Amino acid sequence: MKIGVVLNPIAGMGGAVGLKGTDGAALGRAIELGASPRSPERIRNTLLRLFCKDIPSISIYSCSGSMGGDILDELGIPHTIAYVANGETSKQDTMDACRSLLSESVDLVLFCGGDGTARDICSVVGDSVPILGIPAGVKMYSSVFAVSPNAAADVLTSFLRGDCTLREAEVMDIDEEKYRNGVLDRKMFGQATTPYVPNHVQAAKCAYFSEGEATSKENIARFASEFMSDGSIYILGVGSTTKAISESLGIKKTLLGIDIVHNGALLKADANESDILSLLDSGANVKIIVSPLGAQGFIFGRGNHQISPYVLQRVGRENVIVVGTPQKLQNTPYLFVDTGDHDLDMLLAGHMSVVCGYRLAARKSVLTC
Amino acid sequence: MEFKKIQLNEDEIPKKWYNVSADLPSMVDPPLHPGTKEPITPDDLSAIFPMELIKQEASTEKYIKIPEEVRDIYRIWRPSPLIRADRLEKVLKTPAKIYYKWEGVSPAGSHKRNTAIPQAYYNMKAGTERIATETGAGQWGSAISFGTAFFDMECTVYMVRASYDQKPYRKSLMQAWGAECIPSPSNMTEAGRKMLKMFPNTGGSLGAAISEAVEDAATHDNTNYSLGSVLNHVCLHQTIIGLETQEQFKKIDDYPDVVIGCVGGGSNFAGMAFPFARDKIDGSHPDVDIIGAEPMACPTLTKGLYEYDYGDTVGLVPILKMFTLGHDFMPPSIHAGGLRYHGDSPLVCKLVRDNYIRAVAYHQTEVLKSAVLFGKTEGHIIAPESSHALHCAIQEALKCKETGEEKTIVFNNSGHGNFDLAAYEAYFNGSLMDYEYPEDLINQSLKKLPMRN
Repeated sequence: MKIGVVLNPIAGMGGAVGLKGTDGAALGRAIELGASPRSPERIRNTLLRLFCKDIPSISIYSCSGSMGGDILDELGIPHTIAYVANGETSKQDTMDACRSLLSESVDLVLFCGGDGTARDICSVVGDSVPILGIPAGVKMYSSVFAVSPNAAADVLTSFLRGDCTLREAEVMDIDEEKYRNGVLDRKMFGQATTPYVPNHVQAAKCAYFSEGEATSKENIARFASEFMSDGSIYILGVGSTTKAISESLGIKKTLLGIDIVHNGALLKADANESDILSLLDSGANVKIIVSPLGAQGFIFGRGNHQISPYVLQRVGRENVIVVGTPQKLQNTPYLFVDTGDHDLDMLLAGHMSVVCGYRLAARKSVLTC
Repeated sequence: MEFKKIQLNEDEIPKKWYNVSADLPSMVDPPLHPGTKEPITPDDLSAIFPMELIKQEASTEKYIKIPEEVRDIYRIWRPSPLIRADRLEKVLKTPAKIYYKWEGVSPAGSHKRNTAIPQAYYNMKAGTERIATETGAGQWGSAISFGTAFFDMECTVYMVRASYDQKPYRKSLMQAWGAECIPSPSNMTEAGRKMLKMFPNTGGSLGAAISEAVEDAATHDNTNYSLGSVLNHVCLHQTIIGLETQEQFKKIDDYPDVVIGCVGGGSNFAGMAFPFARDKIDGSHPDVDIIGAEPMACPTLTKGLYEYDYGDTVGLVPILKMFTLGHDFMPPSIHAGGLRYHGDSPLVCKLVRDNYIRAVAYHQTEVLKSAVLFGKTEGHIIAPESSHALHCAIQEALKCKETGEEKTIVFNNSGHGNFDLAAYEAYFNGSLMDYEYPEDLINQSLKKLPMRN
């Protein structure tokens, strides 16, 4: 079986520095802010796990240098270079690489990146062969991604052994420029096929607009505004539930950013990791409020990389408050953490009490990826 | 041979109820008038209760005679059987003996008739023409409908909306016995309208439904109010459960080491537990372990504060000293609707406070898992409320498996689950939510209790 491998070397660099993506001019800004590449580490985890398993023999076709060749060389995995990139890579390289892989008749394209990468791959591959994403971006709204690098290895193993099914998957993307300005403009970009093993592939993020859920958010917000008056500094994560909390305090929420709130007042909008760390350095009592994202149920590691493993270690699990409406929790069998630090993920895993109404919580299992 | 069922004859139905108030080492703090905050007088209650029940509420007599007319109606389903759950024991591989007192044999399927009949009877004697009441899961509404039908009275039942939607056939049952059933909060009362304005999509709560029924009774001259749990006279009537159980254990020359019931407002638990609490207080059985099992979603005894609080949402009924989660707490729509009450019987609370009784709390998924095991081994599909007691009994039996103790465990199996199949369905399709009470985050909101600052 032939497997194509494409790596987007810059995917996910904007996350920890609070930029919500690396499309357009954001990459330069991310580098200025000290961002480092994230995707090589992610694909390394997938490949290491894949080759620990008992899998049928495969031929790997990939791209030169940072788009795949480097990491395959480093791991000593035999491969054929099907596409050679020159200089700094771009989305055009991703698309051209896919064309070359298709001409080699690969059976599946394994890629590592975010929604933008999925979009570029889908524009060439469509549903001609299955694609599978290793999540490394900031935004991952598409359902072609496995929930984690390890899960990608497991799904691929099932695919190679012929014991999983294929399903249609939506490739989604949002407009990053609008996203940075607080507007969520999400649309379906195209349709792909992807191998499917329940719980290992992300469900496309669902939006809930029912009146019932709006009331639930108000109830959560009413409760939060009571318990947030304890003098602690609160870091409010991404999502519409935390937005409802902000609104109940009379604060405008950065739609897809992290805000810092103290005694009902906004201390810092759209904060990044170093803003949070300086608060911690000042000795403040800091608590974090986050909400599971979409139907995937990630509480850390998707869309909120500003709350880095180091931040979480210093804040402590006991100061993490997860909020989510019953409607969302009903459709989210498990919560996931994927901070990038396995030991920390293990610490966060287990049962958590998720605030889901006024003076109300629900017990949910938190799993690592 | 060892019998599966331990039966009593009809002439062995107890002739007196047991009143634990007579034996309490120290008095329960008195109920207070919601307006004056002074101890309540019989006159304060006479607008909504008949005098005989008011006397029972305040009585310190140890035993109170059961009227013959009431005993006669009790014979329709009483004495209820005490049953050995030997098939469950085998599956659990426990050395413990598990018995259950099966109250599901009553026509409406639960223990609630034990008090519905006497309450209807005393109201009939006092000339009451109509009863207004509330119901959580529908058990009480069905029971009082049956009681009022026997004594030719009208009946209006305010049913917590979440249950009304989950169990539509409960409404039909009430109608079959001649009662009117209204989902609460409703537009029929001032209290209901107020709550609908505040929480337009609420599933309601027992506290809210109580407010509506009390308002209905107080604003209609021919109407009295009737409560299916919490109050002393209700617990009194239910003691027939524990008194029968004790007679049944005498027949097999045994006495339980562990006595269990589920706790919502506390009456079925009180009914089973109080006669055993008597033996614990007087020292004849000082080691009997009496356990109240409640839902994690509404953990009154395990996480509430022991304070004075309103018995209803709006603050119309007397203020009671009890473990409470706050009268404005709206418990989530769990399937054990009958256990969704913010407070508990003051007598049960007092016994918990004084360490004669202990309490445990469980999530609904684990409880339903035990209920399914019970259905497979013992055959009965039981109510989610009763399943809390069952789950507790199973936990105790599993402890015995570890220690090797051959304890005798009895739990009050307070009702069948034939109208609760939505709970089982939710369990099978994996959509049961394990609601719980975020204690640390909540503590400050209990500052709203009427007698606290």
